Amino acid sequence: VFPGVRQAQWLTKTKLVEGLPPAVQGVVDNPALGLQELEERAKHVVSHARLWDTAEAAPRREKYCPVLFENLIHVCRSLSAKYPSLSKRMLARNCRIAATWERESSLLQVRGLSGILMNSMTPLPPVASKEEILATKEHVLETFYPIAPTIDLQEVNVYKELNDTGQCFRDGYPYSHPHTLFFLESANVRTDRFRPEQLRAKMLMFAFGNALAKARVLHGNDPKVLEQPIVVQSIGTDGQLFQFMVFQLNTTDLVSNDGIKNLVWIDSDQNLYERAQCVPEIKKRVVTKPAGISGFQPDTFKKFLALYLHGTV
Amino acid sequence: MASLRVRQLLAPSRRWFSETVSGTPSPPDSPLYPPVVASITAKSKAAKSRRLQRFNQRVHAAATVEEKLRLYGKLQRPKYTVYPQTFALNADRWYRSFTKTVLVPGMPPRAAAAKAPVAAAGATPEAGRAPEPGVEAPGAAEAPGAAETPEPAVGAVPYLDIGELRSLACDALLQESFYQNKKRPFLYRDQDHTPGPFLTQLVSTLAASLSGRNPLLAASSLDLNPEVSYYWHHGEEVVVHGHRKGRVDPVRFQIDDNPHLQIRVPKQLPEVVPLESDLGDVPVIDHKPSKLPLFKKQYENKVFIGSKVADPCCYGHTQFHLLPDKLKRERFIRERLEDQIEVVYRSNGIASLFAWTAAQAMYQGFWSEADVTRPFVSQAVVTDGKYFAFFCYQLNTLALTAETIKNNPRKNICWSTDSKPLYDVVEDGNVKGFNDEVLLQLVRFLLNRPKEL
Repeated sequence: VFPGVRQAQWLTKTKLVEGLPPAVQGVVDNPALGLQELEERAKHVVSHARLWDTAEAAPRREKYCPVLFENLIHVCRSLSAKYPSLSKRMLARNCRIAATWERESSLLQVRGLSGILMNSMTPLPPVASKEEILATKEHVLETFYPIAPTIDLQEVNVYKELNDTGQCFRDGYPYSHPHTLFFLESANVRTDRFRPEQLRAKMLMFAFGNALAKARVLHGNDPKVLEQPIVVQSIGTDGQLFQFMVFQLNTTDLVSNDGIKNLVWIDSDQNLYERAQCVPEIKKRVVTKPAGISGFQPDTFKKFLALYLHGTV
Repeated sequence: MASLRVRQLLAPSRRWFSETVSGTPSPPDSPLYPPVVASITAKSKAAKSRRLQRFNQRVHAAATVEEKLRLYGKLQRPKYTVYPQTFALNADRWYRSFTKTVLVPGMPPRAAAAKAPVAAAGATPEAGRAPEPGVEAPGAAEAPGAAETPEPAVGAVPYLDIGELRSLACDALLQESFYQNKKRPFLYRDQDHTPGPFLTQLVSTLAASLSGRNPLLAASSLDLNPEVSYYWHHGEEVVVHGHRKGRVDPVRFQIDDNPHLQIRVPKQLPEVVPLESDLGDVPVIDHKPSKLPLFKKQYENKVFIGSKVADPCCYGHTQFHLLPDKLKRERFIRERLEDQIEVVYRSNGIASLFAWTAAQAMYQGFWSEADVTRPFVSQAVVTDGKYFAFFCYQLNTLALTAETIKNNPRKNICWSTDSKPLYDVVEDGNVKGFNDEVLLQLVRFLLNRPKEL
């Protein structure tokens, strides 16, 4: 009914900021990182995923979306020779997240398989300054009167309030801080995939769930404002369009509608390339679209890399 | 029929030729008559050989590699499907005879220069057996389990921190088997539950951390669950039944393999021994391949290394294979076939690596009539999650068909080790009995690169 992000914002008591936070943008613009050579590799990687990976004519989305993701991660990971602290990361697939919170007299929870999670040994530093956090006090959450904000949510009887990503990992796990969540929309049929707006809402909910669970582990179950905000990043893609998100949890006091809010920065609908032709399209004996990847946008890859490197650079 | 006609022509002209002895005109520059060759469409051996020659010329003259591959596998006939992971008894002997491979136990000797970081005083025992973590390890290695013996620094500046690599490996193992809460494994799918993800994590993190040392890894391409296939002819047989009964046909084989993980690189690995070396004998088996057991099927003749010809990473570096639940050790021990455990690893290594290297060679334009001019080298690790076996394969010849194998002295070579455990057991967040030499061998494999890099 509504663009999903607005509803998710209300549910998680979050203020939206367009574009990436300045800390991450600084990583993107930093010339010392040598992002130019990586562009060549990124192009190869995209061509491999979209054109060359299969013995048939063209790979299907179920194949090329995960392959593209794995290849991009491989390129990013190979930088760990330059930045040794990158090796303190670990990817975890198929981890289940469960977090519950109260929001103005309704109990909400996030449960389910949260895609691929990258954990790191050290937490991400907060991306917003103290003034920005205090400024969120004035921000008024959008309400959807007369529609209840919990519309379209599944009502479920909860018998056991499960609460932490500790349920995903046992105690003593060295890579205990969630760093980035990756969501791959790889269904072949378009109706099975999430639309970009819904994907962004899903990313927001799961990032919030992870951050909340981590906060409860670190600071206990009482709702309060966090001195050390927790930052969790999130990247979602369907193989061509990328959504980048940085979520900062400032408070676990979610019952009331005022006070300090959480912050989220969203950079949406970034195309990595315009089109990928496996066989050249020929109309009336003239090649209209040559084979190969056209319209490659290096900025999208730079943002991906910047989110990956965030926290170590 | 052609010969009769020739004799008729000769008989009356004998007298004519004896009269005109002198004054014969000089022979014309171009022949007066077209060359007398066998027919193309006749049902005779000469016609068949002429058809084969025309086919070979067509493939030689193909403009692109894709066209060559298309023509090579155009004709579909029933062929034996060779499975690298098989429970057949003594399959590795059969596979060696199909692929003309010599098995050499132990890892090949490597030039000390290429392995400078790990060699201690240049005396690293080459078989990869003796543990020698010859490194200076500053500070304590807090890795759980194995104790570390710090060796004196050799003077080579880039050292290999075995402690850090060991902790990476242990972390990957612990995450997959202990820390992450997973549901129970699906029936008979134990390998997808823990060893599969562990292998993926281990290889990706090790490759990333070693990419600084090996620039080839930095430019490599990592494939998860790729397809590798190869189609070839070897030997001859008589067609047993059907409308083609009685004809002599080449024996066709096809390997369709799915390694768990593979690393492809843009530059070729260096040769281990020269092209014409002879390191042993190829077993000769007098039975038909169907006795292995091997079954025939007719489908597309595929030659594929994991990505298409246009990919710049067209040479192979290392493959990682995961043995399925059906071939686990306990099953063999229960059926009192302990000697077949190693056979499983060896047959997987030989078949997969032959298919991969031969497909790489075909991507460069070589085939059975145009044999390779340089050896193709690739490596593989076969594991069931705990036990690791290492293989190195050098492809010296693709000429395995009945005509080309006659005067071909070259043999393909496969170096292999026995399977060794990486760790003993995982308990309470600790890895007990971690084996450093297995990790060292894995690291050596990943660090392998051409000499100029």
